[in-house]
Amino acid sequence: MMTLTKEELIAFEDEIKELYENAKIKAPVHFSKGNEEQLIDIFKDVNENDWVFSTHRSHYHALLKGIDKEWLKNEIIGQRSIHLNSREHKFFTSAIVGGILPIALGTALGIKLKNSKEHVWVFVGDMAAEMGIFYECTKYARRNSLPVTFVIEDNGLSVETPTQKCWGEDDANIKIIRYKYMRFYPHHGVGRFINF
Amino acid sequence: MAYKDELTKAMELLSENEKTIFLGQSVACSGNAIYKTLEKVPVTKRIELPIIEDTQMGMSIGLSFEGFIPISIFPRMDFLILATNQLVNHLDKIKEMSNNHFNPKVIIRTSIGATRPLYPGVQHCSDYTEALKLILKNVKVIKLENSRDIMPEYKKALESNSPTLLIEISDLYDSE
Repeated sequence: MMTLTKEELIAFEDEIKELYENAKIKAPVHFSKGNEEQLIDIFKDVNENDWVFSTHRSHYHALLKGIDKEWLKNEIIGQRSIHLNSREHKFFTSAIVGGILPIALGTALGIKLKNSKEHVWVFVGDMAAEMGIFYECTKYARRNSLPVTFVIEDNGLSVETPTQKCWGEDDANIKIIRYKYMRFYPHHGVGRFINF
Repeated sequence: MAYKDELTKAMELLSENEKTIFLGQSVACSGNAIYKTLEKVPVTKRIELPIIEDTQMGMSIGLSFEGFIPISIFPRMDFLILATNQLVNHLDKIKEMSNNHFNPKVIIRTSIGATRPLYPGVQHCSDYTEALKLILKNVKVIKLENSRDIMPEYKKALESNSPTLLIEISDLYDSE
């Protein structure tokens, strides 16, 4: 897939920044900077027919997926920076934290059911990666060998909340007890017909 | 024909479409009344899921991205509430938030739990139909009050380009 340089990515974001500063974009914009090299490296493995799922901060992902710069710029001016979506490019984003995870999982399941060759790439922040739904989705993907890669973009912050600090930073040994037993009765009732 | 038999017939009709796939809890494993209405759905079209309601709703959307028509089954409406994040924030809004690029077609099946002959308590027989009609703008919400409505409504859901939520009433299962 055609790739962009670090300088090209920064130049695009600078252009959007200028439009924003001149009040040409009347919607929230979540800018990227500082992760160009990591993303360029990851996108070397992303194929044109692969799916990319991203978040409210998705300009770089969109550009690296091959979405046209002018189309992207117009979408951002059209108040959709937070919802950049292109069916043609198999590119989907959501502004609900963790929201894309199960959608990406279902897409990967669909690919597997069809015996297709595409792959799904999901980009989430470090807070989303601490949510229960991340655990559910990665566990299901792992146990069902689904064609999906989860990428955690860790800047240590969720809005302005320090992710790890608000979770708590101790690593105490809490007790979790698990025991096994054989169920005697069915899920409910006693296992025979009773006329009520 | 009895309510339950109409549901069985409707599921058979859905299963005849090559794009449909059935997923949820007690879809491939026995355990509730809905399971019995899937007896004519090939086992190969049924995916038994863990209890992951919100993930299930999101997975259903994702499956639709790959061309499937998911029949996403939530055995009780009380359990569907756990999936309202994906239902309200994504399934209902994707068409608008994607500027018409995505229009997921998902058929959701749920049930208002039976109160007879056993009363299961308030967490197993709630009816949130009116609340969901208020909150959902693009997902059609259909309550199946009569057995004669079941086949036409499922046919409409299959033909529709919008997602549909069909709510059945377990207390009617044995009624005509």
